[in-house]
Amino acid sequence: MALNKNSNAYTIIYTVVMVVIVGALLATLAILLKPMQEDNVLNEQKESIMKAFGAEGESFDKVTVGAIVGGTQFVEVKKDADIKAAFELISNRKALAAEEDALPIFMYEKAGETLFVVPIVGKGLWNDIWGYVALKPVADNMEVVGIIMDHAGETPGLGAEIATDDVQGQFAGKQLYANGEFALKMLKNGKDNRAYIDGCSVDAISGGTKTCDGVNSMLENSLKKYAPFFETLGVHVNVNIE
Amino acid sequence: MKLSKNFTNPLAANNPIIVQILGICSALAVTVKMEPALVMGLSVTFVAAFSNLIMSLLRNGVPSRIRIIVQLVVIATLVIVVDQFLKAFMYDVSKQLSVYVGLIITNCIVMGRVEAYALGNKPWDSFVDGVANGLGYAFILVLVAFFREFFGSGQLFGMQVLGDWYTPNSLMLFPPMALIIVGCIIWVHRSFNKDLQEK
Repeated sequence: MALNKNSNAYTIIYTVVMVVIVGALLATLAILLKPMQEDNVLNEQKESIMKAFGAEGESFDKVTVGAIVGGTQFVEVKKDADIKAAFELISNRKALAAEEDALPIFMYEKAGETLFVVPIVGKGLWNDIWGYVALKPVADNMEVVGIIMDHAGETPGLGAEIATDDVQGQFAGKQLYANGEFALKMLKNGKDNRAYIDGCSVDAISGGTKTCDGVNSMLENSLKKYAPFFETLGVHVNVNIE
Repeated sequence: MKLSKNFTNPLAANNPIIVQILGICSALAVTVKMEPALVMGLSVTFVAAFSNLIMSLLRNGVPSRIRIIVQLVVIATLVIVVDQFLKAFMYDVSKQLSVYVGLIITNCIVMGRVEAYALGNKPWDSFVDGVANGLGYAFILVLVAFFREFFGSGQLFGMQVLGDWYTPNSLMLFPPMALIIVGCIIWVHRSFNKDLQEK
């Protein structure tokens, strides 16, 4: 009996067999390559953190991975499994935004100064934005050493400029608080804008206002959680009781 | 003789980009630098070659009613394989290519060759046809990327080749310049191939 290749039964069996084979093949490949892909993501995170510290290309080994527990206490994370868990938390942007108990933080000694890197996460105009901000305590304030930002889908040429060195470079040397209020914001520069504070505000991107608003909420919401810890370093913060 | 003609035809006389004008959109998107252009070209070559080979092997068993679906499944599988390998072994390049690797699935060259050639020819011929079409695509991509990277940033493969005296022409980095360069290549190509000129 000749096989009727246009019968329904043949078509359905053909489809099922094809899908099962392809599915098994791709699943096997994904499992085999997963460890290497995860290593790549981890290395990228470490490189971003070193770049934020202003120590691009240097080994991550000198960085102390830590967590802020109970709002104020810095606890070093030592076990490999716990360090891995910390990076996984940073990769999982939703979980990081919701985390309240053990806030990830990185500490690095550079030229006698103690620098901290805090992961930040928020929403831009179209999709998630995230990054790392490096800070150091200066008198009663926190000063930005460097910032790295990335995005999932901001408009190229406008909002997507937040991922460029030009925009990120403007953050260096800015301070987090003005008279105890959070003031590190991207704002329209100029005499008519009284909200613009020299030393705290960063020139916003023309045409990228919504993304810059997203950056402002990202910075404020992510860094708010670390404010009690910053106070223990001698920073003056007005903690709003809502 | 047929085999060698099969191979050389898509490289010049019947090049998928400059003669058939297929696969233009990715040619605009990934040609700012030479490295991603080369990787993209090789990825398309891999996908085109193996989708042609696999479809040619299956060509007598595929129910004709669902042949387009079967082609898509084969092409999509190969694209996912490429994407996973790039993410594991060439992470930086895979980030630069971003969505364009996934979009190889919709690249007209790949499906066009499967439908037009592989379904009616033997596996080895089909494989050669896929390799040649992929290489024809890769060649144009790399050529466009050469001009854009050289004049746009004074570099080749990320290495500085022009000195400080050169002010990079950032106009070259904008997507429309890829179209203009492709246009110039078509112009030069047709001036040598009189039979392609329209009367």
